[in-house]
Amino acid sequence: MLRLTVNGRVHEVDAAPGATLLDVLRNDLALSGPKYGCGLGECGACTVLVDGVAARACVIPAGGVVDREVTTLEGLGSRDAPHPVQQAFVDEQAAQCGYCLNGMIMTTAALLARRPRPSDREVREALSHNLCRCGTHVEILRAVRRAARLMTPPSDAQR
Amino acid sequence: MTRRSDAPRTRSEFHAAAGALVVVRDPPPPPPAARGQPPTVPGDPAEGVEILLAVFDDGSVTGLCGHVDLGTGLRTALAQVVADELDVAFDAVTMVLGDTARAPNQGPTIASASIQVHAAPLRLAAAQARAWLVERAAERMGVAADGLEVRDGVVVARADAARSVGYGELVAGGHVELALSDAARVKSPDDYRLVGRPVARVDIPAKAAGEPVFVHDLRLPGMLHGRVVRPPYVGYDTGPFVGRSLEAVERESVAHVPGVVEVVVLGDFVGVVARREEQADAAMRALVVRWKPWPGGAGLDDVEGALRANPSTPRVLVERGDVDGAVASAAQRMTRSYVWPYQMHASIGPSCAVADCRGDRATIWTGSQNPHVLRADLALLLGVPAASVDVIRMEASGCYGRNCADDVAADAALLSRAVGRPVRVQLTREQEHAWEPKGAAQLMEVDGGLDAAGNPVACDFRTSYPSNAAPTLALLLTGAVEPRPVAFEMGDRTSVPPYDYPALRVVANDMAPIVRASWLRGVSALPNAFAHESWIDELATAAAVDPVEYRLRHLSDARAIDLVNATAERAGWIARTAPGGQSPDGDRLKGQGFAYSRYVHSRFPGVGAAWSAWVADVEVDRNTGEVHVSRVVVGHDAGMVINPAGVEHQIHGNVVQTASRALKERVRFDDRGAVEAREWGAYPILSFREVPVIEVVSMPRPGEAPLGAGESSSVPGTAAIANAIFDATGVRFREPPFTPEVVRAALGIVPAPPPPRAPALAAGMRGAPHAGPARRRRGWAVAGAFVAGALGVAAAMLGHRPSIAPVAPPDPALFTATALERGRQLAAAGDCVVCHTAQGGVANAGGRAIETPFGIVHATNLTPDPQTGLGRWSFAAFRRAMREGISRDGRHLYPAFPYPSFTRMTDDDLMALYAYLMAQPPVRNDVPATALAFPYGMRAGLAIWNALYLDPGPAMPDPTRSSDWNRGEYLVNGVGHCGACHTPRNALGAERGGAAYLAGAFVEGWEAPALTSRTHAPVPWTEDELYAYLRHGHTRWHGSVAGPMVPVVRELAALPDADLQAMALYLASFQSTTSPQAAESRAQTLVEQSRGRARQTTGAAQRLFDGACGACHHDGDGPVLLGRNLPLALYSSLASAYPDNLLRVVVDGIAEPATPALGFMPSFRDSLSDRQLAELAAYLRDRFAPGLPAWNDLPAAVARARAAADTSAPR
Repeated sequence: MLRLTVNGRVHEVDAAPGATLLDVLRNDLALSGPKYGCGLGECGACTVLVDGVAARACVIPAGGVVDREVTTLEGLGSRDAPHPVQQAFVDEQAAQCGYCLNGMIMTTAALLARRPRPSDREVREALSHNLCRCGTHVEILRAVRRAARLMTPPSDAQR
Repeated sequence: MTRRSDAPRTRSEFHAAAGALVVVRDPPPPPPAARGQPPTVPGDPAEGVEILLAVFDDGSVTGLCGHVDLGTGLRTALAQVVADELDVAFDAVTMVLGDTARAPNQGPTIASASIQVHAAPLRLAAAQARAWLVERAAERMGVAADGLEVRDGVVVARADAARSVGYGELVAGGHVELALSDAARVKSPDDYRLVGRPVARVDIPAKAAGEPVFVHDLRLPGMLHGRVVRPPYVGYDTGPFVGRSLEAVERESVAHVPGVVEVVVLGDFVGVVARREEQADAAMRALVVRWKPWPGGAGLDDVEGALRANPSTPRVLVERGDVDGAVASAAQRMTRSYVWPYQMHASIGPSCAVADCRGDRATIWTGSQNPHVLRADLALLLGVPAASVDVIRMEASGCYGRNCADDVAADAALLSRAVGRPVRVQLTREQEHAWEPKGAAQLMEVDGGLDAAGNPVACDFRTSYPSNAAPTLALLLTGAVEPRPVAFEMGDRTSVPPYDYPALRVVANDMAPIVRASWLRGVSALPNAFAHESWIDELATAAAVDPVEYRLRHLSDARAIDLVNATAERAGWIARTAPGGQSPDGDRLKGQGFAYSRYVHSRFPGVGAAWSAWVADVEVDRNTGEVHVSRVVVGHDAGMVINPAGVEHQIHGNVVQTASRALKERVRFDDRGAVEAREWGAYPILSFREVPVIEVVSMPRPGEAPLGAGESSSVPGTAAIANAIFDATGVRFREPPFTPEVVRAALGIVPAPPPPRAPALAAGMRGAPHAGPARRRRGWAVAGAFVAGALGVAAAMLGHRPSIAPVAPPDPALFTATALERGRQLAAAGDCVVCHTAQGGVANAGGRAIETPFGIVHATNLTPDPQTGLGRWSFAAFRRAMREGISRDGRHLYPAFPYPSFTRMTDDDLMALYAYLMAQPPVRNDVPATALAFPYGMRAGLAIWNALYLDPGPAMPDPTRSSDWNRGEYLVNGVGHCGACHTPRNALGAERGGAAYLAGAFVEGWEAPALTSRTHAPVPWTEDELYAYLRHGHTRWHGSVAGPMVPVVRELAALPDADLQAMALYLASFQSTTSPQAAESRAQTLVEQSRGRARQTTGAAQRLFDGACGACHHDGDGPVLLGRNLPLALYSSLASAYPDNLLRVVVDGIAEPATPALGFMPSFRDSLSDRQLAELAAYLRDRFAPGLPAWNDLPAAVARARAAADTSAPR
């Protein structure tokens, strides 16, 4: 049994420690946010936060995050109570097929937590290994900028 | 809120619904057989009428369409159409797309025809329903119909707004079905309320919240997980070997994998089913399948040659004027060939499906673009009537044509049928890349020329396109469909140029696929337009006329002319008659290119979709050959636009994807012709770093029919980029992708040689201290011979050692807490658990098989179990084993057990260690006896070895040294036995002394680097760095630990800082003194050098590195991810004379990092080919250890790394 802390709740999971965190999140905890894309940490579709840092769940053995805080897209917010980054992506219609959306939102959330007012270059670098095939990049960049505005108190924004 | 419109799952539920108005139609007659076109399946009259629309008594509305939403926003656009025509609120409409049990059969979702063609019946049905409802309202209200209007589903009397009746009320209590009538009158576009306005996509909020909407997310009760194993003819679907290559499946090879339910074999179809997904994955990787040798496919390094050699049938599409005469008369002949590479759909999500095939019903949940055709395929595969198969369409990863969605649906059906339970099958990334039907390569040959005045005289165009509909794989693998080469007639899209050439001939050379290929966005049109729009640019240059002006001279389509003018104007087109007009920006040459095209799709002569024009601005680095598309202005005329926001997003997507295909994308094949690119490093796509500024010029055409916008804006893109590169460089590129190496070759740029290696700080004893991985074996062989020879003598001289009497297990309560704690630390320092624990076994219970040159040695059980462990060992017996290598029973232990080091331990420490081990819970574990072959099996021979090499302890401290130094020496050479790995051994397998001491060695395929001044670490080791390495598993200047050092660092966590500092102090005494400042400065130099080298080494290997490794390993200009991104330039594995450690890490990955701060690394074993691994290693050496000699014989090193036992990967 593995004890995992996911989205603020402790779960006991009957999985081998070598099972990927992605498989455990999706199949044992029925979380659909993180997606399987490559299994190699290349594309970012599976991104979650581990202790607040963006992490690629497809290359992490579930046993490797025992005693650490895992946050998935579902833990960020819901349709009715979205996180500002989720809200910004909806507002900017920053999805075509939407398969990469989880990784884009999670990576953005981690970036903005670390750097609330990133430059355009920093945004592009942070997302440089989140792949999108539909070509939604323009809308995603807009969504990141909008999210940064949503998350920055007006007094900060005026500075 | 549950709405009635969401409820019905089948046609009969619509028919049975009370309180509903339903609009139906007879299934249209089967379409005329269309030669060489994507297959369609006629409707089955036995399944009754098709349902297009239903209005329910709660006011909700269902619209049904046979096409599916591929991320284009079709669901939203169709809901706009229905809501607008019915005059209901937008969110009253539910759209059902694609399900065979509900939606009409409208053929595959291709060719951007959904809005243009297939929305029409839906609009008509909505208009008819509205008219019927208004009529009923008129009757009920006693008001003439023309005195009524409808607002959000409520019919209101114009004269008296208080009098009204809702649609829900009008349909309540009854069930009415209307047969679709052409007589229904649709709205005038002037009356549209929703169509033409931006509407937010209905699907995005759920996706942004992670709700289960994709087929990947479906979880059924009792669902099992499946994986498939594909044959070795990777990417081929024709040839006599297809479906006939399986020799045997060794089912027992997965006997050890938990949870396996079934191994399914049908012809060349092989699949596994397991209870859990990771179990299915493990079974897929473990299953041994023997295949007949594959003769190999076509050589595809030379795509043009392969296309010319592929048999074809010419099909004349247009022949106008005396083409041959005109070409012969040209004052300036322009004969050109343009070549398109194989490309991938490259969906981000590998295909997935869930099937439930039980009894006589089969239900398949899929992301297919062709639900009805897939249903026919599944019926054929399962041998059941189509009517007993339901295909339910769920959201899927963007596809852009035909990926493996249908294939995996069939895979799931076979596996579910075999186990009689629902099965979800997920293809791996590697399988999707390898097997998706590729976007076909294409060869365009153009002949013609100019007259003396610079006007074109003729265009003689031939296009060769090897592709068909890519039959569903399982049908081929199981033999249900013969793997015959079938040619389609789809190479003709947009093959007719838009210009008024005086003589024109267009010929399509129809040909069967070479590798599995099918339609990909801009089906054959993107390549054809690339040729036409490059060629007219060449004509303009030859005629010394501005390329836009030249096009306008020969265009007569008014909408095209408007679009070309508007786009050029918005972009600030710089008129020119020769390339090179813009001044460079430093090393960056700048250019601007134009192209125009109208996508013509479907069976020739085809249907025109939207018009599109591009102005691309590029920058070409004159040193590296890199091309950057900095800005694209794209003009677009799609007639009336239903959802302007949706269309703009589609255009952005087309621009990004087309730039990606133009600059980066080409499928690589291995030397046998198999698809080699199986992950994103080998098939990179455009990243955020490279996305251009995009400006859209939309032509306002509200009165014109809506045209497909899903692909059109991609079509001129590649030519615009090629034309811009020509403007920047004066060199014409006729074969995408325009990668740096292609541009360098064409421009004659010679890559910079590596800089000289920055001189080392201290002149150590450089060079290989040890024999290296290959020669090591010979050394051991010599040792074996010596031992064998010595054995006879030894056995004679020295007899059996006495056994020490067994004792009752000591009571752990007798040991002091201090002794136990000290013992715990010593056990950790000695890494007992590393060797004495079997994989997945209990700590220290033994059983691990340790490979030695003399055979397998099984580690013993160290727990105090009386029968199988140390339970009956007295301290005296334990001490003798540690000091002399003699077991309690008197037998000699093999020096795989490092007693020559342990012998140095003090009695107190041995006692503490004994106490600790005896206080652990006993574990009964009968470890296999070590039984080496003759002569090594004669243990007595070790007596002579001991006489020669064992220096019995305990060791005495060196009084001339500090106590810290002595402590470090004691830990390193005693319990820590560092030399067991790091010191090379002599011919008899004993550690060497003198300068060879700790000078590096190879152990189990890993290089244990030198710890002395012979170190090849790029930055000299300092005491602080050694301490940090042992404590944290990584340092600023030496990277992180990997391989067998990982468990060592994990164990060292038990030791106090003082001990690790002492070890660091001792080890640092072998190094020449380096100040931290000097080390830092050298580290900076090396990092800077490797950063500079990055710009000099652009090419396929650099892209492989960036795509496969770059998310974690970058120069600080990439994402911040869990783990440490330490500069690879500082890793000793890259500066070593041997690539083994690097390759082991790449092949095995790091599933268990030394400390939590370090990240995890995946295994690339199944994702990179031998050639790719070698290329990657060579690149890393050049990039991160520039100036050091290239590694020799990388293929052999790759083979070693693959063969080495994998003890660390998670799967």
